[in-house]
Amino acid sequence: MSLVDLIASFIKIAVLIGFCLGVGGALTWNDRRMSSMIQDRVGPNRARFLIPAWAARAMFAAPALLIGGAVAAWGVLWREIPSTAFANARANERIVITFELAVLFLWIGLAMLTAWSVRRGPANALEEFLAKTVKDPRKVFYAGVVVHVAVFVLPIVMRGSALAKQLKPQLFWIGPVTLGLVVAAMGLVGAAKVPSEGFKLRLIGLLHTMADGLKMIWKEDFVPKHGDKILHSVAPMIALFPPLVVLAVIPFGDVLCFATDPTGKILISKVLSMVPREGVCAEGAIPMQVASLDVGILFIFAIAGTGVLGAAIGGWASDNKYSLLGALRAAGQMVSYEITLGLTLVGLFMIYGTLRPENMVWWQGQNAWGIFVQPVAFFLFFIAAIAETKRIPFDLPEGESEIVGYFTEYSSMKFGMFFFAEYIEVVTSSAIMVTLFLGGWNLPFLHRDGITVQIGDTVLFHYGMSHLMVVIISVIAFFTKVLAFAWVQVVIRWTLPRFRYDQLMKLCWRALLPLSLVNILVTGVVLLVIQNTSVTVRSALDAAGDLTQVVVAVAMIAGGVAAVRWLLSPVRRQPVVLSTSAEMVARMGRTITRPMQA
Amino acid sequence: MSEAVRKGGGIVGKKVPRPDRTMLIQTYVPETAKGMAVLMKHFFKNTKEMVFGQRNDPVLEALDDGINTISYPEQQRPYPLRNRGLHRLTHREDGSPRCVACLCCSTACPAQCIYIEPAEYPEGDKRRGYERYPAKFVIDELRCIFCGFCVEACPCDAIRMDTGEHPVPYDSRDQFIYDKDLLMALKGRDGSQKTRNPRHEPGDPTHPGITRLGKH
Repeated sequence: MSLVDLIASFIKIAVLIGFCLGVGGALTWNDRRMSSMIQDRVGPNRARFLIPAWAARAMFAAPALLIGGAVAAWGVLWREIPSTAFANARANERIVITFELAVLFLWIGLAMLTAWSVRRGPANALEEFLAKTVKDPRKVFYAGVVVHVAVFVLPIVMRGSALAKQLKPQLFWIGPVTLGLVVAAMGLVGAAKVPSEGFKLRLIGLLHTMADGLKMIWKEDFVPKHGDKILHSVAPMIALFPPLVVLAVIPFGDVLCFATDPTGKILISKVLSMVPREGVCAEGAIPMQVASLDVGILFIFAIAGTGVLGAAIGGWASDNKYSLLGALRAAGQMVSYEITLGLTLVGLFMIYGTLRPENMVWWQGQNAWGIFVQPVAFFLFFIAAIAETKRIPFDLPEGESEIVGYFTEYSSMKFGMFFFAEYIEVVTSSAIMVTLFLGGWNLPFLHRDGITVQIGDTVLFHYGMSHLMVVIISVIAFFTKVLAFAWVQVVIRWTLPRFRYDQLMKLCWRALLPLSLVNILVTGVVLLVIQNTSVTVRSALDAAGDLTQVVVAVAMIAGGVAAVRWLLSPVRRQPVVLSTSAEMVARMGRTITRPMQA
Repeated sequence: MSEAVRKGGGIVGKKVPRPDRTMLIQTYVPETAKGMAVLMKHFFKNTKEMVFGQRNDPVLEALDDGINTISYPEQQRPYPLRNRGLHRLTHREDGSPRCVACLCCSTACPAQCIYIEPAEYPEGDKRRGYERYPAKFVIDELRCIFCGFCVEACPCDAIRMDTGEHPVPYDSRDQFIYDKDLLMALKGRDGSQKTRNPRHEPGDPTHPGITRLGKH
């Protein structure tokens, strides 16, 4: 292993663990936030920092000016387009991306300014225009989308024309300068909008979670008198360890290809500009994966299987019969559901023909996502994975307030580790599910050489992108998918009530297990049939695979547009004055909020 | 209805139709999806309104969907107009109490929480001979039962319970004894320390005056 590999491994491990811990904390917060939001109440929101006006202004203005200035300087200082073919292609990318980002920031800023000036009254001519003529921030958003598409399409339309050749060197530096100016302007406008008494930073209750974490560290660490002191301390570590280790084999991005020197060493400063769509890197490659193992998925199951030990040892070492019973419930449940977990994947192995997670992701990128080829397996795996994380509706091992669980005798940070391990398990299980079923780091139609919209053999659209950009997007895509999926698991936790223990076992042994066996059988039969059919059927299947990509892409774009449209939609309220209290409030304008005393 | 009225009387409950336990419901899946949809609707709506500061007013817009909780004690619902809050002593135009120390309120008080020490105006004062003033006016807010009889009894509209505030919790009993200065410092709900009822001072043309005595 070379030094570069070693350093890269450390960086990858740090990224993964940082992501896990950060998301674990965020999920703790999200869990509590959701409990209050779904019941229409405010929830834990008291912890806050009062940021004085000057500091808040500096927080807005300083980074914006720095970043904006840096981007503009980058544009002005590197204004010559290098003459190589690669550099020419990357110059196009720089122009498009800087303008797209400038448009993005501009419409976000203008939409926010519109909403602000409609609510609080305009202060200058621009705000007057936004408040009186535009009125609805959604109009700004629609205009932004149109400009986004125009910026993307125009270079493709104008490619090769004389005007494009003339404009390109100019746009090459105007793009970054525009972006820098927009960023700086956004920061300055934001700074100007800070109220003179400063504002209270609550981060919608995120500070409250942090305060709770701090509290947990300082609490008394209690060990039962006759409990096994060593095992009592070791158990939470055993519980926290497996979900973190499992992530080692999960690929969180596409392979990053570097140029190499004649001896075969990786040149870290030279990322390849363009790579072909098919095949592996001819030269040095750093995979976005800590360990690439042949056994891949089996490693995940081997390590995840030890997770049950943490709960079992914790219950046993507590010298408490009820804790022990909780530990036994945990062991029974986790062992049962692991069988389903393993069997649902057999169908996937048959289709993907590999155990390596990175090859599975690759297959999904080339054909269709796992959720489309194995929908039943996805469903069963999802249920079993929730049961593995020991969360509602399968939280019989712990049952925080009702049933006495296996960590009853734990306090302080040892309890915190059990608690946190659960959230990290959620992150890990969603990472596994994203890898196996949701295409890993793939985005529809995004390949190593750029965006290629292709149905069957007909290429509808091709747009070349540089290698580094594709890898960055793939990493962002993976982590975003994991976040979204972890969030779905929290939603399920708040939707369903708890199962009884016999229902839990029945669900596993009488429903999930037979279904997963049937799934294997059906998958095998279908695979056999497909292998023995004509070429036309197979090419039709290929086209169907591409159509699933179309479905995902359209759903993503439509969802994004609908989300922004909903975010910017104005709220309609109906004041109802039915009591003298309401009359008094109506006279005052609205209910007065006074700062808390003492 | 015909089923509910049976012969022989007795209580017959209203028949509630049992929900159909169809196959679809028993598979648990569509119902879970529906539940998740309801939950997400609340979550997204409320989170958006929290972050964007678009929460509905907890009193004025209490019938709208969304978070209607009042963040007590930063936010407080004003007490209704008929609420009997802390007492206040109303002022005359010159800022002195309207109270004429007639002891009606302390007499009417069933809890005997009002203590008044009447005093005569000094010689030469226009009001001397017409009325007295309270040298001390003390209300023990711990004894007070907030019945409002003192307000009913007052002939001069000098004591009112329209401050819209409840007594502040203190940590010792003597702090609950409100003296004249404190009572006069309290304001009514409209922010004024006076009342709308006119007051006729001695010397005013509208004042009935003591001359009336001579006519009888």
